[in-house]
Amino acid sequence: MEKEEQDRNMHILRTGVLSPVKRWSAKWSLWPCHFVTSCCGVELAHAFASGFDGERLGTLNMGISRQANFIIVEGTITRKMARALRIVWEQMPDPKFVNVIGACGQRGGIFWNSYNITRPSEIVPVDFFIPGCPVTPEGILRGVRAVQDKIALGKDETTIKFKKVALPSEVGQGSTIPTSPKRFAPTPLVKVDIPREVDWDFGSTTVSNLKSQLEGLYKSITITDKNRIAIKTAPENLMEVARKLSDNMGIDHTKSVNVVDVPHEQKFILEYMASSYSNNDLMPVIITLFTEIERKAEPEFPSITPLWDSADYSEREMHDFFGIKYEGNAGMNAKFLLAPETQTPLRKDFKLDEENYVFDDSPLNPKIDLPTSLEMPAPTDLYDEAEASDEFIILVGPHHTGSGHLRWILRIKGDIIVDVTPDPGYVHRSMEKIAENRLYIQNVPLFERANITDPFNMNLGYVHAIEKALSIEVPERAKYIRTMLAELSRIGAFFYDSGIFSLFTGHSTGFMYVWAIREMILEATVRLTGSRCTPSFIIPGGVRRDISKDVLDMTGNFTTAVNKRLKKFEDIFINNPVFIARTKGVGVVTKQEAIKYGLVGPFLRASGVDYDIRKVEPYEVYDKLNWEVTTGDAGDCLGRYMGRYEEIKQSLSILKQTVDALKRMPRGDVISGEVLGEYKEASEDIKGHLYHAYGNLVLPKGEWTSVIESARGTLLYSIISDGDSNVPYRVRIVTPCWMNLRGIVEASKGERVADFWTIYGSFGYFPPEADR
Amino acid sequence: MQEVINELLETMMSNQVSVPVIQPVIDMAAQVPMVGLGISFILWTPIFALLICPGLSTLGIFLLFFPWIERKLCGRIQWRVGPREIVPWLGGLIQLLADTLRFLFQEVIVHKDAHRPYFLQFAFLSFAAALLPLLFINAGAVIAIASPYGVQLLLALVCLFPLFILGLGWASNSRFAFIGSVREAFMYFAYEIPFIIAVLAMVILFGTSNPMLIPDKWGIILNPIAAFTFFVGAAMATSRMPFEIPEADQEVAAGPHVEYSGIAFGLIYVMCYEKAYILSALMVVLFLGGGGGPYIPGLTVHLGDLMGIVWFLLKVIIVMTTMFVLRTIYPRYRLDQGLTIGWGAMIAISLVALAWSIVFVFLQQGGVL
Amino acid sequence: MKKVTVQDQGLVEKTKCHAAAIGVAMKESVYPLTATVQYPRQRKKMPDNFRGYILFDPDKCINCWECAFICPANAIRMKEAPNKKYYPTIDYGKCIFCHFCIDSCTDSALRTTKIHDVAYKDMDEMVTLTEEMIEPPEIVREDTKLVEYLIDDKDLQIKKTREVDSLFMDEVPPSVEIPVVSQCIDGASCIGCHVCEYVCGSGAISSSIANGVMNMAIDTDNCTGCGLCVKECTMQILKLVRK
Ligand code: SF4
Ligand code: SF4
Ligand code: SF4
Repeated sequence: MEKEEQDRNMHILRTGVLSPVKRWSAKWSLWPCHFVTSCCGVELAHAFASGFDGERLGTLNMGISRQANFIIVEGTITRKMARALRIVWEQMPDPKFVNVIGACGQRGGIFWNSYNITRPSEIVPVDFFIPGCPVTPEGILRGVRAVQDKIALGKDETTIKFKKVALPSEVGQGSTIPTSPKRFAPTPLVKVDIPREVDWDFGSTTVSNLKSQLEGLYKSITITDKNRIAIKTAPENLMEVARKLSDNMGIDHTKSVNVVDVPHEQKFILEYMASSYSNNDLMPVIITLFTEIERKAEPEFPSITPLWDSADYSEREMHDFFGIKYEGNAGMNAKFLLAPETQTPLRKDFKLDEENYVFDDSPLNPKIDLPTSLEMPAPTDLYDEAEASDEFIILVGPHHTGSGHLRWILRIKGDIIVDVTPDPGYVHRSMEKIAENRLYIQNVPLFERANITDPFNMNLGYVHAIEKALSIEVPERAKYIRTMLAELSRIGAFFYDSGIFSLFTGHSTGFMYVWAIREMILEATVRLTGSRCTPSFIIPGGVRRDISKDVLDMTGNFTTAVNKRLKKFEDIFINNPVFIARTKGVGVVTKQEAIKYGLVGPFLRASGVDYDIRKVEPYEVYDKLNWEVTTGDAGDCLGRYMGRYEEIKQSLSILKQTVDALKRMPRGDVISGEVLGEYKEASEDIKGHLYHAYGNLVLPKGEWTSVIESARGTLLYSIISDGDSNVPYRVRIVTPCWMNLRGIVEASKGERVADFWTIYGSFGYFPPEADR
Repeated sequence: MQEVINELLETMMSNQVSVPVIQPVIDMAAQVPMVGLGISFILWTPIFALLICPGLSTLGIFLLFFPWIERKLCGRIQWRVGPREIVPWLGGLIQLLADTLRFLFQEVIVHKDAHRPYFLQFAFLSFAAALLPLLFINAGAVIAIASPYGVQLLLALVCLFPLFILGLGWASNSRFAFIGSVREAFMYFAYEIPFIIAVLAMVILFGTSNPMLIPDKWGIILNPIAAFTFFVGAAMATSRMPFEIPEADQEVAAGPHVEYSGIAFGLIYVMCYEKAYILSALMVVLFLGGGGGPYIPGLTVHLGDLMGIVWFLLKVIIVMTTMFVLRTIYPRYRLDQGLTIGWGAMIAISLVALAWSIVFVFLQQGGVL
Repeated sequence: MKKVTVQDQGLVEKTKCHAAAIGVAMKESVYPLTATVQYPRQRKKMPDNFRGYILFDPDKCINCWECAFICPANAIRMKEAPNKKYYPTIDYGKCIFCHFCIDSCTDSALRTTKIHDVAYKDMDEMVTLTEEMIEPPEIVREDTKLVEYLIDDKDLQIKKTREVDSLFMDEVPPSVEIPVVSQCIDGASCIGCHVCEYVCGSGAISSSIANGVMNMAIDTDNCTGCGLCVKECTMQILKLVRK
């Protein structure tokens, strides 16, 4: 089918006396229908923003498929998104062209054995593939040029030519093929409450306090690490314990809901990680409340949502992943995150493809198959129901200029939003499952892909969990570098969100201005690490290599250079009376609601909760620097935005302080000797020894949970290790966007239709991060 | 027969566009029988107005190049370059030609749910209907139909636009098109009244509604409030930022246009520029002194009527650019805010403008001014 | 703690803000702070540590398979060369340019280039064989100018020079040399499975039978320290130690 389709397009352009005109006009008027499917979209935006300005080539980004004639598939196409891709392609008038950018859309990239991705080339005919992860803006424009040449000159060629050189042929010593470097324990010991000796007085008092309060309800209470307490209960007592925690100690929200499948012991471990926003002493403490239930096809368990509403979406997610039915949760009748036909993929008996280290001629992974039908399911019953009550349903997304990569089902009455139902999962790339099948070090780039607008923080959180488990002390210089990088990435993420926010309010100049600022940040990132958006720079024990003086200078300069452009952005967007009219008093989330729905990060602080992990449980060098947490009390769109803006000013100051400190500090170790072992000399630059030092990393058994403050809020990683395998047994990631999804839904209710986009924009939502 | 032709010729000759510079050429050409007739036909003011300026040809050139000006200028303000690579040394001047041709050769899709006949008809009708007001606009001394009710007629025709947009949305039978059209209808009522009042204010001030008789005075100085109201009203009428509510891309996916493709979309797309052109022309006539301009020795005399046209077009370009550049400055208002502005502030301001005009006229008659 | 509150804008304030916004637009239309790199004709200068396409030098490769093992995307697969050694091939349809492979390659057999803008006609071509990774490839280029982003303490400066940047670095940055060799730490436990001997690509391990006892000998001069034997050893009695 593919070939025919492509030929048809070219045929249209080639026939008729007007063919030269047709080809000339098509060449210079390729309007890409920006099919934002995944993180590569960030670089696509850079290609069309002020840094590279793709519009120069006549390629004007057009959100509406009927008017576009070019699709740039941006990375991953999941099984859920495949339908949308097909529909959008079919909606477009002939002749039309398709480029696929990013490794994900080609042979899967880092997600090559994911259970949820498909290959776009099997869904629509593709003209060109551009490698990269993400593709650089230059790459995207090269793709455009390639299509232009194809149209105008009929030159359908790959733009790289390799020269073949004969390999040495003198026969040496042959050898056998080594086995896979990964080691899975056959019967792993999975326990989430391995006690650890820590110097933590408050912990022992809390535990004795807990013991007296929960008398008879618990099975064991263990301190698993500093600030981490695990409480084991019987299934029937869990709710009661939770209630006691909530009533007596002010534990008011869950940070994570987790399930661990232990097939060889025929059990599921069900976990709730809860903490407190209202009790200052308990803020840094995470209490893991867990129980074990029998492993069967569809086990049932009472939902915790009546008590902690914040667990709602995570429970639905666990229902998708493990097939556990949480009774009392409203979302148990359908798949939430996954495509309807997917099995319960996170159970251990669901196996992924294994790596193949030897070259053979079957390059394509056979397991990737198309979803059974390419029809996009429309909630038809909802239509009727809404019409009966004089309401109207609009489906926003997954391909809509203002939807991002998820679908929103808006139920409106007149101009008022009655209800919003999110339909996430269009970029669910099964990170948690893949992580169980990769070496610890290989997961560093994996998790980074969750959010390439905030890559350093994504790295940092994961690496923290490993360092916690191994009790590694990171060299001082590395700590400063990490703090610097984390803040740089926080600033970058803020500008990303500002750009999207500007677009959502219809202000394209705001978008262009902040994207120009982001171009500076990316320039700094590329010089620091070698990669624009996906540096994978932070590794357990430190960072990959030391940073040179002139790059530090440049980063330091950025903190002042940004002001000039920022001032213009402020004048044209932030202080613009129309913007303020659009956002002030819109989408208010009160303090109680924010706590109830478990919002995180700047969006929580905007509602008046003074909670920032950088202060609550300081990591790296945040406690040595001079900065302040910003909060607000309006809780509206403007408050959320301005709060973050203020926070960025703090970040710029932190950035400056770290750069200054680094400049004063002599060059030295940036990787801890503890993790390098035999390879201590590599402590300034890991080059040449990455595999030696990290290939066989094994964590001690137990559950290791780290929380950090990423750009959009609390980022939680919890790694369960069996102490034997060199791959994690289970990794749970709870990203801030996932937690904030609920906030968008609740804030939108009762507001006007157009406000939905302001609210959406003000929450800085990045779907790949939420869907993971 | 001969008589009829002669009579016709006489009428034509009595009402020619005069361009002194090329007069010798015309005189020479007039010796050649058929060519002479052709030339005098084209230079016959109504026909000249209809076909050349401010009519079809000018409009065509505008449609082809104005979006380029807009895209370049917006690009510049947004720290970019704008269309360029198509002819780098001309700054991508012919970008729109490529876009238009591409639309022309692109498939036109009529989707299953659309009301087929109307879906296509409305696209073409709306383009055609948007041409009508051109008959009543004067570029300097050139006008197609000079009527004492010119301004009113023009207004009436301008008010037809939204009906076609509603039609587009209705025929598309799509949810976003539906919401977009409803928004358009709401906005229509919100801007129409202050807009008309602002024009009335000027008609009262000038004491005539024949565009030809409106003096070359700068209405914007005589009644700046009316000018402001008119400008904002025009921005609302053409769905410009911050009032781009019916077509909000991020909200209702271009609203009424969402289902159109190929040349049908091309026509709708240029219709928005057509509208802007007509309203800018009206603004120039009412507020910016029409075809009047400073006397340039040499040129003014030699170019004759053409000079008026040049001034007129220059002013139109400036007004249009201002209107379009708004999109780089403002985000968009919400529908209810747009309505509040229309029904509240705008009406109030327009009434003030009206009062201003009345007082002005009284003062003038009283000899104070 | 810093509390952010946003005041309502009064009429005066509003007018000022309108004026400021319009002012920015007017100013930028005259003196814009354009930041555009006009790509096909201009190319942005990338730093030398840029992570782009990967080149390979078979003379330096010690056959350690580490690049294949560390590759998170399984983009590297080893292919047998005529000399019976296994060399890497890279599938750019999977490669995520993390350069973990380069950072793992002990002797810098792999090195980076600044190539990153390539369009492929079909996916099968994206698999790059070892033979193709040795010489620098040619890409379609249209650039005549090199653009460099410089950030000084005032603003982003854009420096344009009329030159064509070379995409290949002259020298490969060296890695710290840490000479290690394989050593048997518990010869008594050896079960004589020969796995280490077979997997060793440099013939450093030899076996001999004396008195009915298997004896593995490691020749420290030939051992490249690649660690394959250590990894494969059934009894886990081999270890990498300093030379
Ligand atoms: S992981 Fe993201 S950046 Fe990488 S190829 Fe996929 S979509 Fe692109
Ligand atoms: S750069 Fe990364 S993904 Fe690419 S081949 Fe090397 S290790 Fe694999
Ligand atoms: S890591 Fe380097 S030395 Fe080892 S096999 Fe790969 S290319 Fe060869």
